[in-house]
Amino acid sequence: MTDRYPGYDVMSKRWTESWNETTRKVIDRRLAISREPRFFSGTEWRTLNAVCDRIMPQPKDRPPVPLAAFVDQKIADRLMDGYRYAEMPPQDEAWRRGLAALDEAAQETHDTLFHMLSTEQQDGLLCRMQQGGLTGPAWGGMPCKLFFEHRVIPDITHAYYAHPVAWNEIGFGGPASPRGYVRMGLDRRDPWEAVEATPGEEAHARLKNDHGG
Amino acid sequence: MTRDSTAVAASGAALLGLAALALTRQRRCQALVPTTHVPAPAIDPGAAVRAARRMNRAAGVIAASVLADSAVEHYRGAFHNKAMVAPLVTAALSLAVSAHGNADKRPQAHRVRDSVYVAAALTGLVGTCFHVFNIGKKPGGFSWQNLFYSAPIGAPMALTLSGAMGFLAERVRDTTPGQAPTIAGVSAGRAVAAATSLGLLGTVGEAGLLHFRGAYHDPFMYLPVTIPPLTAALIGNAAFGRTRRRRPLTRFWLRFTALLGFAGAGFHAMGVARNMGGWRNWRQNVLNGPPIPAPPSFTGLALAGLAALGLMEDHPDD
Repeated sequence: MTDRYPGYDVMSKRWTESWNETTRKVIDRRLAISREPRFFSGTEWRTLNAVCDRIMPQPKDRPPVPLAAFVDQKIADRLMDGYRYAEMPPQDEAWRRGLAALDEAAQETHDTLFHMLSTEQQDGLLCRMQQGGLTGPAWGGMPCKLFFEHRVIPDITHAYYAHPVAWNEIGFGGPASPRGYVRMGLDRRDPWEAVEATPGEEAHARLKNDHGG
Repeated sequence: MTRDSTAVAASGAALLGLAALALTRQRRCQALVPTTHVPAPAIDPGAAVRAARRMNRAAGVIAASVLADSAVEHYRGAFHNKAMVAPLVTAALSLAVSAHGNADKRPQAHRVRDSVYVAAALTGLVGTCFHVFNIGKKPGGFSWQNLFYSAPIGAPMALTLSGAMGFLAERVRDTTPGQAPTIAGVSAGRAVAAATSLGLLGTVGEAGLLHFRGAYHDPFMYLPVTIPPLTAALIGNAAFGRTRRRRPLTRFWLRFTALLGFAGAGFHAMGVARNMGGWRNWRQNVLNGPPIPAPPSFTGLALAGLAALGLMEDHPDD
Protein backbone atom coordinates (compact mmCIF):
# COMPACT_ATOMS: atom_id res chain seq x y z
CA MET A 1 0.00 0.00 0.00
CA THR A 2 1.43 3.42 -0.92
CA ASP A 3 2.11 5.64 2.05
CA ARG A 4 0.20 8.81 1.22
CA TYR A 5 1.16 10.48 4.49
CA PRO A 6 4.79 9.44 5.00
CA GLY A 7 6.06 9.85 8.54
CA TYR A 8 2.61 10.71 9.87
CA ASP A 9 1.66 9.14 13.19
CA VAL A 10 -1.54 10.43 14.71
CA MET A 11 -0.42 9.12 18.11
CA SER A 12 2.24 11.84 18.17
CA LYS A 13 -0.63 14.24 18.84
CA ARG A 14 -1.19 12.57 22.18
CA TRP A 15 0.59 15.20 24.26
CA THR A 16 -0.09 18.18 22.02
CA GLU A 17 -2.95 20.66 22.27
CA SER A 18 -4.87 18.58 19.73
CA TRP A 19 -5.87 16.06 22.37
CA ASN A 20 -6.94 16.49 25.96
CA GLU A 21 -7.27 14.02 28.83
CA THR A 22 -10.71 12.81 27.71
CA THR A 23 -9.49 12.21 24.17
CA ARG A 24 -6.46 10.32 25.45
CA LYS A 25 -8.68 8.10 27.61
CA VAL A 26 -11.02 7.35 24.70
CA ILE A 27 -8.14 6.38 22.42
CA ASP A 28 -6.45 4.31 25.16
CA ARG A 29 -9.67 2.39 25.74
CA ARG A 30 -10.02 1.78 22.02
CA LEU A 31 -6.47 0.47 21.71
CA ALA A 32 -6.79 -1.74 24.79
CA ILE A 33 -9.74 -3.72 23.41
CA SER A 34 -9.88 -7.38 24.37
CA ARG A 35 -9.09 -9.80 21.54
CA GLU A 36 -11.49 -12.38 23.02
CA PRO A 37 -15.23 -12.33 22.25
CA ARG A 38 -17.72 -11.40 24.92
CA PHE A 39 -20.84 -11.86 22.83
CA PHE A 40 -20.07 -14.32 20.05
CA SER A 41 -19.60 -18.06 20.48
CA GLY A 42 -16.39 -19.72 19.31
CA THR A 43 -17.89 -20.79 15.97
CA GLU A 44 -19.44 -17.40 15.33
CA TRP A 45 -16.16 -15.72 16.26
CA ARG A 46 -14.19 -17.72 13.70
CA THR A 47 -16.78 -16.99 11.00
CA LEU A 48 -16.83 -13.30 11.89
CA ASN A 49 -13.02 -13.07 11.71
CA ALA A 50 -13.08 -14.72 8.29
CA VAL A 51 -15.75 -12.26 7.08
CA CYS A 52 -13.72 -9.29 8.42
CA ASP A 53 -10.61 -10.53 6.62
CA ARG A 54 -12.47 -10.51 3.31
CA ILE A 55 -14.40 -7.25 3.76
CA MET A 56 -11.41 -5.26 5.01
CA PRO A 57 -8.20 -7.09 4.02
CA GLN A 58 -5.20 -5.68 5.86
CA PRO A 59 -1.50 -5.49 5.02
CA LYS A 60 0.71 -8.18 6.53
CA ASP A 61 3.52 -5.84 7.55
CA ARG A 62 1.74 -4.48 10.62
CA PRO A 63 -0.52 -5.87 13.35
CA PRO A 64 -4.09 -5.92 12.04
CA VAL A 65 -6.83 -3.72 13.45
CA PRO A 66 -8.91 -6.22 15.52
CA LEU A 67 -12.09 -5.70 13.52
CA ALA A 68 -14.03 -8.68 14.87
CA ALA A 69 -13.28 -7.53 18.43
CA PHE A 70 -14.77 -4.11 17.70
CA VAL A 71 -17.92 -5.67 16.22
CA ASP A 72 -18.17 -7.91 19.28
CA GLN A 73 -17.68 -4.95 21.60
CA LYS A 74 -20.36 -2.92 19.82
CA ILE A 75 -22.87 -5.69 20.38
CA ALA A 76 -21.76 -6.64 23.89
CA ASP A 77 -21.89 -3.01 25.01
CA ARG A 78 -25.24 -2.53 23.23
CA LEU A 79 -23.95 0.44 21.21
CA MET A 80 -26.95 0.77 18.89
CA ASP A 81 -27.24 2.76 15.68
CA GLY A 82 -30.42 4.46 16.84
CA TYR A 83 -32.44 3.12 13.92
CA ARG A 84 -32.95 -0.11 12.01
CA TYR A 85 -34.80 -1.41 8.99
CA ALA A 86 -38.14 -2.93 9.86
CA GLU A 87 -37.18 -6.17 8.06
CA MET A 88 -34.02 -6.46 10.15
CA PRO A 89 -33.84 -7.82 13.71
CA PRO A 90 -31.78 -5.94 16.34
CA GLN A 91 -28.01 -6.00 15.69
CA ASP A 92 -27.16 -8.87 18.03
CA GLU A 93 -29.79 -11.13 16.53
CA ALA A 94 -28.93 -9.98 12.99
CA TRP A 95 -25.25 -10.89 13.41
CA ARG A 96 -26.10 -14.25 15.03
CA ARG A 97 -28.42 -15.18 12.19
CA GLY A 98 -26.17 -13.83 9.46
CA LEU A 99 -23.04 -15.70 10.63
CA ALA A 100 -25.02 -18.91 11.14
CA ALA A 101 -26.51 -18.51 7.67
CA LEU A 102 -23.06 -18.06 6.12
CA ASP A 103 -21.92 -21.31 7.76
CA GLU A 104 -25.12 -22.97 6.62
CA ALA A 105 -24.48 -21.83 3.03
CA ALA A 106 -20.83 -22.98 3.27
CA GLN A 107 -22.01 -26.40 4.46
CA GLU A 108 -24.50 -26.64 1.63
CA THR A 109 -22.14 -25.62 -1.14
CA HIS A 110 -18.72 -26.81 0.08
CA ASP A 111 -19.54 -29.12 2.95
CA THR A 112 -17.49 -27.21 5.50
CA LEU A 113 -17.68 -24.09 7.68
CA PHE A 114 -17.21 -20.61 6.21
CA HIS A 115 -13.83 -19.95 7.84
CA MET A 116 -12.45 -23.19 6.37
CA LEU A 117 -13.16 -22.09 2.78
CA SER A 118 -10.58 -20.61 0.42
CA THR A 119 -10.69 -16.85 0.04
CA GLU A 120 -12.22 -17.26 -3.45
CA GLN A 121 -14.99 -19.47 -2.06
CA GLN A 122 -15.59 -17.02 0.79
CA ASP A 123 -15.78 -14.12 -1.67
CA GLY A 124 -18.24 -16.12 -3.77
CA LEU A 125 -20.60 -16.57 -0.84
CA LEU A 126 -20.23 -12.94 0.28
CA CYS A 127 -21.02 -11.79 -3.27
CA ARG A 128 -24.13 -13.94 -3.33
CA MET A 129 -25.12 -12.40 0.00
CA GLN A 130 -24.52 -8.91 -1.39
CA GLN A 131 -26.74 -9.66 -4.38
CA GLY A 132 -29.52 -11.14 -2.26
CA GLY A 133 -28.83 -14.68 -3.51
CA LEU A 134 -28.55 -16.52 -0.21
CA THR A 135 -31.61 -18.15 1.29
CA GLY A 136 -32.10 -20.73 3.99
CA PRO A 137 -33.83 -21.31 7.30
CA ALA A 138 -30.90 -19.77 9.26
CA TRP A 139 -31.74 -16.30 7.89
CA GLY A 140 -35.08 -16.46 9.70
CA GLY A 141 -36.66 -14.20 7.08
CA MET A 142 -33.91 -11.53 7.27
CA PRO A 143 -32.99 -10.31 3.75
CA CYS A 144 -29.31 -11.22 3.22
CA LYS A 145 -28.79 -8.15 1.00
CA LEU A 146 -29.90 -5.82 3.80
CA PHE A 147 -27.70 -7.69 6.28
CA PHE A 148 -24.71 -7.19 3.97
CA GLU A 149 -25.40 -3.52 3.28
CA HIS A 150 -26.53 -2.37 6.68
CA ARG A 151 -24.73 -4.65 9.15
CA VAL A 152 -21.67 -6.27 7.62
CA ILE A 153 -20.25 -3.30 5.70
CA PRO A 154 -20.93 -0.48 8.20
CA ASP A 155 -20.02 -2.40 11.35
CA ILE A 156 -16.70 -3.62 9.94
CA THR A 157 -15.61 -0.50 8.04
CA HIS A 158 -16.63 1.83 10.87
CA ALA A 159 -14.54 -0.27 13.23
CA TYR A 160 -11.58 -0.01 10.86
CA TYR A 161 -11.74 3.75 10.45
CA ALA A 162 -12.22 4.29 14.18
CA HIS A 163 -8.64 3.02 14.70
CA PRO A 164 -5.51 5.21 14.74
CA VAL A 165 -3.80 2.87 12.26
CA ALA A 166 -6.49 3.73 9.70
CA TRP A 167 -6.18 7.44 10.57
CA ASN A 168 -2.49 7.31 9.70
CA GLU A 169 -3.38 5.83 6.32
CA ILE A 170 -5.88 8.57 5.48
CA GLY A 171 -4.09 11.45 7.21
CA PHE A 172 -6.88 11.97 9.74
CA GLY A 173 -6.10 13.76 13.00
CA GLY A 174 -8.41 11.75 15.25
CA PRO A 175 -10.96 13.36 17.54
CA ALA A 176 -11.05 17.16 17.15
CA SER A 177 -10.92 17.61 20.88
CA PRO A 178 -9.92 20.14 21.92
CA ARG A 179 -8.17 21.32 18.76
CA GLY A 180 -10.33 21.16 15.68
CA TYR A 181 -10.04 22.68 12.25
CA VAL A 182 -9.87 26.25 11.01
CA ARG A 183 -9.34 25.99 7.27
CA MET A 184 -12.59 24.37 6.24
CA GLY A 185 -12.39 24.84 2.45
CA LEU A 186 -11.68 21.99 0.06
CA ASP A 187 -8.01 21.04 -0.24
CA ARG A 188 -6.98 23.41 2.56
CA ARG A 189 -4.80 22.17 5.40
CA ASP A 190 -4.28 23.43 8.94
CA PRO A 191 -0.67 23.50 10.12
CA TRP A 192 -1.33 20.68 12.60
CA GLU A 193 -2.80 18.37 9.94
CA ALA A 194 -1.01 15.58 8.08
CA VAL A 195 0.78 16.52 4.87
CA GLU A 196 -0.16 14.44 1.85
CA ALA A 197 2.81 13.49 -0.32
CA THR A 198 2.64 14.47 -3.96
CA PRO A 199 4.85 12.41 -6.30
CA GLY A 200 8.47 13.46 -5.83
CA GLU A 201 7.67 15.40 -2.65
CA GLU A 202 7.68 12.46 -0.24
CA ALA A 203 10.75 13.66 1.66
CA HIS A 204 9.21 17.11 2.16
CA ALA A 205 5.96 15.57 3.43
CA ARG A 206 7.87 13.25 5.75
CA LEU A 207 9.81 16.16 7.20
CA LYS A 208 6.64 18.16 7.83
CA ASN A 209 4.80 15.17 9.29
CA ASP A 210 7.70 14.46 11.61
CA HIS A 211 7.32 17.94 13.03
CA GLY A 212 3.53 18.03 12.90
CA GLY A 213 1.12 17.96 15.78
CA MET B 1 -35.24 31.25 18.16
CA THR B 2 -36.09 33.67 20.93
CA ARG B 3 -32.45 34.71 21.07
CA ASP B 4 -32.45 35.25 17.28
CA SER B 5 -35.57 37.36 17.50
CA THR B 6 -34.04 39.39 20.28
CA ALA B 7 -30.89 39.87 18.22
CA VAL B 8 -32.83 41.00 15.16
CA ALA B 9 -34.98 43.26 17.31
CA ALA B 10 -31.94 44.82 18.96
CA SER B 11 -30.16 45.39 15.65
CA GLY B 12 -33.34 46.85 14.22
CA ALA B 13 -33.88 49.02 17.26
CA ALA B 14 -30.33 50.34 16.98
CA LEU B 15 -30.87 51.24 13.33
CA LEU B 16 -34.28 52.77 14.03
CA GLY B 17 -32.81 54.81 16.84
CA LEU B 18 -30.11 55.99 14.50
CA ALA B 19 -32.62 56.94 11.82
CA ALA B 20 -34.75 58.75 14.36
CA LEU B 21 -31.68 60.60 15.57
CA ALA B 22 -30.78 61.59 12.07
CA LEU B 23 -34.29 62.78 11.30
CA THR B 24 -34.62 64.83 14.43
CA ARG B 25 -31.02 65.92 14.32
CA GLN B 26 -31.50 69.57 14.95
CA ARG B 27 -34.02 69.37 17.76
CA ARG B 28 -32.50 66.34 19.43
CA CYS B 29 -29.07 67.81 19.43
CA GLN B 30 -30.20 70.98 21.02
CA ALA B 31 -31.73 68.90 23.75
CA LEU B 32 -28.59 66.79 24.22
CA VAL B 33 -25.86 69.33 23.70
CA PRO B 34 -25.67 72.44 25.78
CA THR B 35 -25.42 75.30 23.32
CA THR B 36 -22.52 77.50 24.14
CA HIS B 37 -21.63 80.17 21.66
CA VAL B 38 -17.93 80.74 21.48
CA PRO B 39 -16.23 83.63 19.75
CA ALA B 40 -14.16 82.87 16.68
CA PRO B 41 -10.57 82.37 17.84
CA ALA B 42 -7.72 83.98 15.98
CA ILE B 43 -6.24 81.41 13.61
CA ASP B 44 -3.44 79.58 15.33
CA PRO B 45 -0.78 78.78 12.72
CA GLY B 46 0.05 75.50 14.48
CA ALA B 47 -3.58 74.35 14.72
CA ALA B 48 -3.70 72.72 11.29
CA VAL B 49 -0.54 70.69 11.93
CA ARG B 50 -1.82 69.67 15.35
CA ALA B 51 -5.09 68.49 13.79
CA ALA B 52 -3.22 66.73 10.98
CA ARG B 53 -1.08 64.87 13.52
CA ARG B 54 -4.21 63.82 15.40
CA MET B 55 -5.54 62.45 12.13
CA ASN B 56 -2.25 60.69 11.44
CA ARG B 57 -2.70 58.98 14.78
CA ALA B 58 -6.27 58.01 13.83
CA ALA B 59 -5.09 56.64 10.47
CA GLY B 60 -2.31 54.79 12.28
CA VAL B 61 -4.62 53.12 14.79
CA ILE B 62 -6.94 51.95 12.01
CA ALA B 63 -3.92 50.75 10.00
CA ALA B 64 -2.62 48.81 13.00
CA SER B 65 -6.01 47.17 13.42
CA VAL B 66 -6.15 46.26 9.71
CA LEU B 67 -2.56 45.02 9.70
CA ALA B 68 -3.09 42.62 12.59
CA ASP B 69 -6.58 41.58 11.50
CA SER B 70 -5.70 40.91 7.87
CA ALA B 71 -2.51 39.13 8.93
CA VAL B 72 -4.49 36.73 11.11
CA GLU B 73 -7.39 36.25 8.71
CA HIS B 74 -5.32 35.96 5.56
CA TYR B 75 -2.95 33.54 7.31
CA ARG B 76 -6.07 31.55 8.08
CA GLY B 77 -6.84 31.70 4.36
CA ALA B 78 -3.27 30.38 3.82
CA PHE B 79 -2.61 33.35 1.47
CA HIS B 80 -4.39 31.26 -1.12
CA ASN B 81 -4.44 34.24 -3.47
CA LYS B 82 -1.12 36.07 -3.65
CA ALA B 83 -3.01 39.39 -3.53
CA MET B 84 -3.88 38.57 0.08
CA VAL B 85 -0.46 39.94 1.03
CA ALA B 86 -1.41 43.40 -0.29
CA PRO B 87 -3.31 44.66 2.79
CA LEU B 88 -0.46 43.56 5.05
CA VAL B 89 2.01 45.58 3.02
CA THR B 90 -0.14 48.68 2.60
CA ALA B 91 -1.44 48.64 6.20
CA ALA B 92 2.13 48.29 7.48
CA LEU B 93 3.21 51.21 5.27
CA SER B 94 0.18 53.24 6.37
CA LEU B 95 1.11 52.55 9.99
CA ALA B 96 4.72 53.60 9.33
CA VAL B 97 3.86 56.86 7.55
CA SER B 98 1.28 57.63 10.25
CA ALA B 99 4.03 57.36 12.84
CA HIS B 100 6.16 59.59 10.64
CA GLY B 101 3.33 62.10 10.29
CA ASN B 102 2.75 62.08 14.02
CA ALA B 103 6.39 63.02 14.59
CA ASP B 104 6.50 65.54 11.74
CA LYS B 105 5.64 69.12 12.75
CA ARG B 106 6.18 70.75 9.34
CA PRO B 107 3.15 72.40 7.78
CA GLN B 108 3.48 70.71 4.37
CA ALA B 109 2.04 67.53 2.97
CA HIS B 110 4.61 64.79 2.47
CA ARG B 111 4.77 63.15 -0.93
CA VAL B 112 5.58 59.64 0.36
CA ARG B 113 2.91 59.79 3.06
CA ASP B 114 0.41 60.97 0.50
CA SER B 115 1.26 58.16 -1.91
CA VAL B 116 1.10 55.50 0.79
CA TYR B 117 -2.27 56.74 2.05
CA VAL B 118 -3.70 56.77 -1.47
CA ALA B 119 -2.31 53.27 -2.09
CA ALA B 120 -3.87 52.06 1.18
CA ALA B 121 -7.24 53.56 0.30
CA LEU B 122 -7.15 51.98 -3.16
CA THR B 123 -6.04 48.62 -1.77
CA GLY B 124 -9.07 48.71 0.52
CA LEU B 125 -11.37 49.37 -2.42
CA VAL B 126 -9.83 46.61 -4.54
CA GLY B 127 -10.00 44.30 -1.50
CA THR B 128 -13.69 45.03 -1.15
CA CYS B 129 -14.17 44.03 -4.79
CA PHE B 130 -12.25 40.79 -4.14
CA HIS B 131 -14.36 40.01 -1.10
CA VAL B 132 -17.60 40.78 -2.93
CA PHE B 133 -16.46 38.55 -5.81
CA ASN B 134 -15.49 35.83 -3.34
CA ILE B 135 -18.95 35.90 -1.75
CA GLY B 136 -20.74 36.04 -5.10
CA LYS B 137 -18.99 33.01 -6.55
CA LYS B 138 -19.85 30.76 -3.59
CA PRO B 139 -22.84 28.47 -4.10
CA GLY B 140 -25.86 30.48 -2.99
CA GLY B 141 -24.27 33.83 -3.89
CA PHE B 142 -25.20 36.71 -1.63
CA SER B 143 -26.97 34.61 0.96
CA TRP B 144 -26.74 35.19 4.71
CA GLN B 145 -24.68 32.02 4.99
CA ASN B 146 -22.02 33.39 2.62
CA LEU B 147 -22.11 36.88 4.10
CA PHE B 148 -21.44 35.32 7.50
CA TYR B 149 -18.78 32.79 6.57
CA SER B 150 -17.02 33.97 3.41
CA ALA B 151 -14.51 36.80 3.22
CA PRO B 152 -15.96 39.59 5.41
CA ILE B 153 -17.54 42.07 3.04
CA GLY B 154 -16.87 45.19 5.08
CA ALA B 155 -13.37 44.48 6.43
CA PRO B 156 -11.24 45.89 3.56
CA MET B 157 -13.03 49.22 3.83
CA ALA B 158 -11.19 49.78 7.13
CA LEU B 159 -7.99 50.03 5.09
CA THR B 160 -9.70 52.57 2.84
CA LEU B 161 -10.70 54.51 5.95
CA SER B 162 -7.12 54.51 7.22
CA GLY B 163 -5.89 55.73 3.84
CA ALA B 164 -8.66 58.30 3.57
CA MET B 165 -8.04 59.70 7.05
CA GLY B 166 -4.33 59.91 6.31
CA PHE B 167 -4.98 61.57 2.96
CA LEU B 168 -7.27 64.10 4.65
CA ALA B 169 -4.58 64.64 7.29
CA GLU B 170 -2.15 65.63 4.55
CA ARG B 171 -4.71 68.07 3.08
CA VAL B 172 -5.24 69.63 6.51
CA ARG B 173 -1.49 69.88 7.08
CA ASP B 174 -1.01 71.47 3.69
CA THR B 175 -2.95 74.56 4.76
CA THR B 176 -1.24 77.90 4.23
CA PRO B 177 -0.38 79.22 7.71
CA GLY B 178 -2.95 81.75 8.81
CA GLN B 179 -5.76 80.24 6.74
CA ALA B 180 -8.50 77.86 7.81
CA PRO B 181 -7.96 74.33 6.44
CA THR B 182 -10.42 73.30 3.76
CA ILE B 183 -10.90 70.15 1.74
CA ALA B 184 -12.43 70.61 -1.73
CA GLY B 185 -13.70 73.98 -0.61
CA VAL B 186 -15.42 72.60 2.50
CA SER B 187 -14.26 73.26 6.04
CA ALA B 188 -11.83 70.42 6.81
CA GLY B 189 -13.44 69.79 10.19
CA ARG B 190 -16.83 69.19 8.57
CA ALA B 191 -15.31 66.93 5.90
CA VAL B 192 -13.46 64.80 8.46
CA ALA B 193 -16.51 64.68 10.73
CA ALA B 194 -18.70 63.48 7.84
CA ALA B 195 -16.10 60.88 6.82
CA THR B 196 -15.88 59.68 10.43
CA SER B 197 -19.65 59.37 10.68
CA LEU B 198 -19.84 57.30 7.49
CA GLY B 199 -16.86 55.19 8.53
CA LEU B 200 -18.47 54.48 11.91
CA LEU B 201 -21.73 53.42 10.25
CA GLY B 202 -19.88 51.02 7.93
CA THR B 203 -17.96 49.54 10.85
CA VAL B 204 -21.19 49.18 12.82
CA GLY B 205 -22.63 47.27 9.85
CA GLU B 206 -19.70 44.87 9.89
CA ALA B 207 -19.85 44.37 13.67
CA GLY B 208 -23.63 44.00 13.50
CA LEU B 209 -23.44 41.32 10.81
CA LEU B 210 -20.82 39.28 12.63
CA HIS B 211 -22.31 39.74 16.09
CA PHE B 212 -25.66 38.68 14.68
CA ARG B 213 -23.88 35.60 13.35
CA GLY B 214 -22.69 35.10 16.93
CA ALA B 215 -26.34 35.40 18.06
CA TYR B 216 -25.35 38.15 20.53
CA HIS B 217 -24.55 35.30 22.93
CA ASP B 218 -22.84 37.79 25.26
CA PRO B 219 -24.81 40.93 26.17
CA PHE B 220 -21.67 43.04 25.64
CA MET B 221 -21.92 42.15 21.95
CA TYR B 222 -24.70 44.72 21.73
CA LEU B 223 -22.28 47.55 22.59
CA PRO B 224 -20.74 48.04 19.12
CA VAL B 225 -24.20 48.18 17.54
CA THR B 226 -25.58 50.66 20.08
CA ILE B 227 -22.74 52.99 21.16
CA PRO B 228 -21.06 53.79 17.78
CA PRO B 229 -24.34 54.50 15.94
CA LEU B 230 -24.92 57.27 18.49
CA THR B 231 -21.35 58.44 17.95
CA ALA B 232 -21.97 58.48 14.20
CA ALA B 233 -25.14 60.50 14.73
CA LEU B 234 -23.41 62.98 17.04
CA ILE B 235 -20.37 63.54 14.84
CA GLY B 236 -22.64 63.58 11.75
CA ASN B 237 -24.67 66.25 13.46
CA ALA B 238 -21.50 68.20 14.13
CA ALA B 239 -20.52 67.87 10.46
CA PHE B 240 -23.71 69.53 9.30
CA GLY B 241 -24.48 71.66 12.35
CA ARG B 242 -23.01 74.88 13.63
CA THR B 243 -19.29 74.96 14.30
CA ARG B 244 -19.27 77.87 16.70
CA ARG B 245 -20.39 75.68 19.54
CA ARG B 246 -18.74 73.49 22.14
CA ARG B 247 -19.89 69.88 21.97
CA PRO B 248 -18.98 68.25 25.29
CA LEU B 249 -21.38 65.34 24.80
CA THR B 250 -20.02 64.56 21.34
CA ARG B 251 -16.48 64.76 22.67
CA PHE B 252 -17.33 62.52 25.62
CA TRP B 253 -19.11 60.02 23.39
CA LEU B 254 -16.17 59.93 20.97
CA ARG B 255 -13.78 59.25 23.85
CA PHE B 256 -16.12 56.55 25.12
CA THR B 257 -16.16 55.00 21.64
CA ALA B 258 -12.36 55.11 21.53
CA LEU B 259 -12.30 53.24 24.82
CA LEU B 260 -14.91 50.80 23.54
CA GLY B 261 -12.59 49.86 20.67
CA PHE B 262 -9.88 48.76 23.08
CA ALA B 263 -12.40 47.12 25.40
CA GLY B 264 -13.68 45.19 22.38
CA ALA B 265 -10.22 43.72 21.82
CA GLY B 266 -10.26 42.65 25.48
CA PHE B 267 -13.70 41.07 25.13
CA HIS B 268 -12.54 39.25 22.02
CA ALA B 269 -9.50 37.94 23.90
CA MET B 270 -11.94 36.58 26.48
CA GLY B 271 -13.93 35.06 23.61
CA VAL B 272 -10.79 33.24 22.48
CA ALA B 273 -10.32 31.92 26.02
CA ARG B 274 -13.87 30.59 26.00
CA ASN B 275 -13.31 28.48 22.90
CA MET B 276 -12.47 24.82 23.44
CA GLY B 277 -8.89 24.51 24.67
CA GLY B 278 -8.77 28.21 25.53
CA TRP B 279 -5.55 30.15 25.09
CA ARG B 280 -3.51 26.97 25.36
CA ASN B 281 -5.07 26.06 21.99
CA TRP B 282 -4.25 29.50 20.61
CA ARG B 283 -3.11 28.23 17.23
CA GLN B 284 -6.71 27.33 16.47
CA ASN B 285 -8.66 29.71 18.68
CA VAL B 286 -6.98 32.97 17.67
CA LEU B 287 -8.07 32.14 14.13
CA ASN B 288 -11.39 30.59 15.01
CA GLY B 289 -12.50 32.87 17.82
CA PRO B 290 -13.56 36.52 17.62
CA PRO B 291 -10.95 38.66 15.83
CA ILE B 292 -8.96 40.40 18.56
CA PRO B 293 -7.49 43.18 16.38
CA ALA B 294 -10.78 44.20 14.74
CA PRO B 295 -12.54 46.37 17.41
CA PRO B 296 -9.79 49.04 17.67
CA SER B 297 -11.00 50.28 14.27
CA PHE B 298 -13.66 52.04 16.33
CA THR B 299 -10.87 53.64 18.37
CA GLY B 300 -9.19 54.93 15.22
CA LEU B 301 -12.44 56.38 13.90
CA ALA B 302 -13.22 57.99 17.26
CA LEU B 303 -9.78 59.61 17.23
CA ALA B 304 -10.56 60.96 13.74
CA GLY B 305 -13.84 62.33 15.10
CA LEU B 306 -12.01 64.04 17.95
CA ALA B 307 -9.59 65.56 15.43
CA ALA B 308 -12.60 66.80 13.44
CA LEU B 309 -14.13 68.38 16.54
CA GLY B 310 -10.82 70.11 17.25
CA LEU B 311 -10.66 71.38 13.68
CA MET B 312 -14.18 72.78 13.86
CA GLU B 313 -13.45 74.47 17.16
CA ASP B 314 -10.20 75.94 15.89
CA HIS B 315 -11.66 77.04 12.55
CA PRO B 316 -15.37 77.81 12.81
CA ASP B 317 -16.91 78.62 9.45
CA ASP B 318 -20.17 80.21 10.48
